[in-house]
Amino acid sequence: MTDTLPDDDDLLAAEYVLGLADAPARATAEARVKRDPQFAAAVAAWENRLGGLNDGYDDAPAPNLLPQIEARLFPVARLPKRGWFRLAAGAAVAAALAVAVVVTQAPTPPAVLATLTGAGLTYEVRSDGQRLQITRVAGTAAPAGQVHELWIIAPGAAPVALGLLGDAPLDVTYPTPPAGWVMAVSVEPSGGSTTGTPTGPVILTAEIGL
Amino acid sequence: MSDDPVSDLLTRVAAQDRAAFRELYAAASSKLMGVLLRMLRERAEAEDALQEVFTRVWLRAGRFDGAKGRGMTWLIAVTRNLALDRLRARTETQADEDAAEAIVDPTPTAERRMIALGEAGRIIECFDQLDPARADAVRGAYLSGLSYADLAARHAVPLNTMRTWLRRSLVSLRECLDK
Repeated sequence: MTDTLPDDDDLLAAEYVLGLADAPARATAEARVKRDPQFAAAVAAWENRLGGLNDGYDDAPAPNLLPQIEARLFPVARLPKRGWFRLAAGAAVAAALAVAVVVTQAPTPPAVLATLTGAGLTYEVRSDGQRLQITRVAGTAAPAGQVHELWIIAPGAAPVALGLLGDAPLDVTYPTPPAGWVMAVSVEPSGGSTTGTPTGPVILTAEIGL
Repeated sequence: MSDDPVSDLLTRVAAQDRAAFRELYAAASSKLMGVLLRMLRERAEAEDALQEVFTRVWLRAGRFDGAKGRGMTWLIAVTRNLALDRLRARTETQADEDAAEAIVDPTPTAERRMIALGEAGRIIECFDQLDPARADAVRGAYLSGLSYADLAARHAVPLNTMRTWLRRSLVSLRECLDK
């Protein structure tokens, strides 16, 4: 229920949903949505209340961008056609399927898929086949005003943002990436990159192994 | 199947169903493109943003809860958030130009149609209870992504006055919509 939230906070949620806040205030509100369930519920309530205005948006024919979108999300078909690489990818897919089967039978502790480490900072990436969990196991979060952002890069494809890395582990719904894919962490302004690609320095990278 | 086909598709997308993802693109892309064009006002950027929206939808569909709202409402919320992030990241100069453009922006046909047909039901009634200029400011913020500064310029009032208008309007709307 949102009426347990102080009135000012509920109006903050409304202003966030309307989009009235400037970039720093948006970033603050976004961070709060993630850690404060009451505030998140207030935001959802305003999204539903104002959803009645959605009829005010005209339909506009969209070109078929599915090929580009699928190439970003499922780039397996774009792997280099070298024999060993295809074999490795096949093995990874098989491994992913095997993990998925095990998961439906009994929950297994997520396996460490990759470790991103350097200059006293380490993130561990775990996967259970359905989701990725990224935890900082050494070092500190980005300095004030900045944030670490996690990216996944399929061979030959553009980086795709997976989320912002704070103090709590990041949970992302994402299948186990096949071998040869690269995970990277960049330093971005608070709120993360707004361009869809890393804008700050890439400080950590790791290739998914076999 | 429920009475919300988009919600059903999102549930399947959350289970990594690629066929459902394609159906969702066919069902929702023109509405979401309409949202992006209205807010970003540039076709190339809107098309780029649409790719990012569907990428996020695939990755985040698991967070959608059909018990808490309709599928299209959730999709539009994801789309508006991305558009707002991009709008607020534009430089000050661009923001000024956007505000200037927004001043001459005529009321789009869909809004008139919505008002004429009463498609949105209760929200129309609640907006009718507001002062017309304030109702227009709330709609401008929601539909076009105008900031407090944009709205203050558009309505030629000081920023703090606009903030007071909006906050009072939101309190009235909440009271009316929650009845």
